[in-house]
Amino acid sequence: MTWMMWRQHRTEALALTIFVGVIAVALFVLGRPMHALFPLGSAHCLVPPLDQACRSALVRLQQDYGYTTTVLILLNFAPYAIGGFLGAPLLARELEAGTWQLVWTQAVPRRRWLAVKIVVLGTVSVLLAAGLSAVIAWYRRPLDLLGGGLDITAFDLTGITPMAYTLFAFALGVVAGAVLRRSLPAAAGALVSFLAVRVTVAGWIRPHFVMPVTRIEAFVPGSGDITDGTSNARDMILDQGFVDADGRRITGLGAVIMEGKAREGGGDPTIYLHDHGIQHWVVYQPMERYWTFQLIETVIFVGLAVLLLALVFRRIRRPAF
Amino acid sequence: MTIQPALRTRNVGKRYRKAWALRNCTLELPPGSVTALVGPNGAGKTTLLRMSVGLLTPTVGSVEVFGESPATNSVQALTRIGFLAQDHPLYRQFTVADLLRFGRSCNVRFDHELAARRLTQLGISLDARAGALSGGQQSQVALALALAKRPNLLVLDEPMSSLDPLARQEFQQTLMSAVADGELTVLFSSHAVHELERVCDHLVVINHGQVMLSGDIDTLLAEHRLLVGPRVKTDPRGSRSVVEVKHSDRHTTMLVRQAAAPIMPGWQANPVGLEELVLAYLRRPVDAEAAESQEETA
Repeated sequence: MTWMMWRQHRTEALALTIFVGVIAVALFVLGRPMHALFPLGSAHCLVPPLDQACRSALVRLQQDYGYTTTVLILLNFAPYAIGGFLGAPLLARELEAGTWQLVWTQAVPRRRWLAVKIVVLGTVSVLLAAGLSAVIAWYRRPLDLLGGGLDITAFDLTGITPMAYTLFAFALGVVAGAVLRRSLPAAAGALVSFLAVRVTVAGWIRPHFVMPVTRIEAFVPGSGDITDGTSNARDMILDQGFVDADGRRITGLGAVIMEGKAREGGGDPTIYLHDHGIQHWVVYQPMERYWTFQLIETVIFVGLAVLLLALVFRRIRRPAF
Repeated sequence: MTIQPALRTRNVGKRYRKAWALRNCTLELPPGSVTALVGPNGAGKTTLLRMSVGLLTPTVGSVEVFGESPATNSVQALTRIGFLAQDHPLYRQFTVADLLRFGRSCNVRFDHELAARRLTQLGISLDARAGALSGGQQSQVALALALAKRPNLLVLDEPMSSLDPLARQEFQQTLMSAVADGELTVLFSSHAVHELERVCDHLVVINHGQVMLSGDIDTLLAEHRLLVGPRVKTDPRGSRSVVEVKHSDRHTTMLVRQAAAPIMPGWQANPVGLEELVLAYLRRPVDAEAAESQEETA
């Protein structure tokens, strides 16, 4: 059985290893000079006060490597590429080539066959995702200084979530293959559902995993300019605005008008705001919750994957393909 | 004690969504027999064959292979059966040697030696990719795989339909020598009626999802007579023993299943050929009563 798995899937496994390998090498080559900007390690420049070396390194980082944060967003497709590529043909290829009739009449019960396939290929895809996640985590460590802790440029690419996404994509591929019975439509169907679930969770559900923190801060007159967000650039800001002396929140257009008034005359806006008793408020998820969020997100996606694979097991027990 | 049949189906029916692909199918194949399953396309042949190897489960009724339902999907049940699906599907990227190794790794009693020898004798290189072989060679590889499992019941779905006459003959030879070698029961579907007599000893005719005729070929041929006589008006449905009535200008020809019965004066009784017999049963309209009774039980 194990030999059979290897013989049947070695092409995909090797192709994916090369895919992950190429990305890893590219990140390593690009990342070396970026890491070299911070001889003392980038964490050294994370907490103020920043020394001169840090400040100039930060400027260089922003200028030379700021764009890569955006490019990294593309790697959100990697879990799908890995999991879908191995998962979609798992059943679909047997069904479209008719070989299901060959393999399911050998002396290996169907469910054992499916279990071995899922365990072996699922493990391969999760391992590849783990490797990729580790490389990305190393690469983007200096980029943490530019922010983006809990969003798709960092949270979704590092830690344990990429593995959960990959397993989910794999399960989606297997299910789509069982339903659509052809590899390419199965891969396409899996992509659409993968993106839909990922966007929904990342965009609407993740910000509410845990009750967000609300902070209200008075403006320090003469501090120069209105400070946005929180002191940590990696916190996930959900909403922010002003609160007036009576405790009423001013958001949206009201906040824009308020800011315009404060800037009238070209002086320091914090003096105006302070004099009118206006404070800054922000609702956010602090970066310290990174691992809590990673755990919650992993549980969600692994749970969905298990559910989907359980459906396939139920389906394959009833021999009606 | 009666001998356990190799395959026994009792009132088997299979429904896909609304339509019945097969209904009221009761069959018994004695061990060691070679049975041809004959019927037009869409008659339900593939459905019956897939049910007999456990790839499908019946909607109603029971299927037993040597007393065990193939739908249990147990190692024991799977070991007993060999299946060669239509168009002999193989992993096209695998070499022949890979396919044999696949068979060995997925079976308890796989005769690797025998399969390799058989294919080498046929001039099929073990290093060739399955996808690069000709249709005839692919079917030989698929047959070798199925036979190397050393099944008790070998089921083949249209094994020779895509083969040229030479490959067809070679295929038949391989199959027949395997039957001669051991205790193998064979069930295969075909719509080439003319070449059945050489190969098989039992016959099952199905049409419109129903069994029209089944039994030992010699017995069936002995039971049936072609009666020719002066033109008469008869309703073929009037008698159960009349299979088919044909009228020409002056004569009436009746196929009857009543070998021993005395015949009317002026009539002549002739033996019937296998092909004629099969075609007569295939031309028979669906038995409406049987269909209705099936509906009620389901």
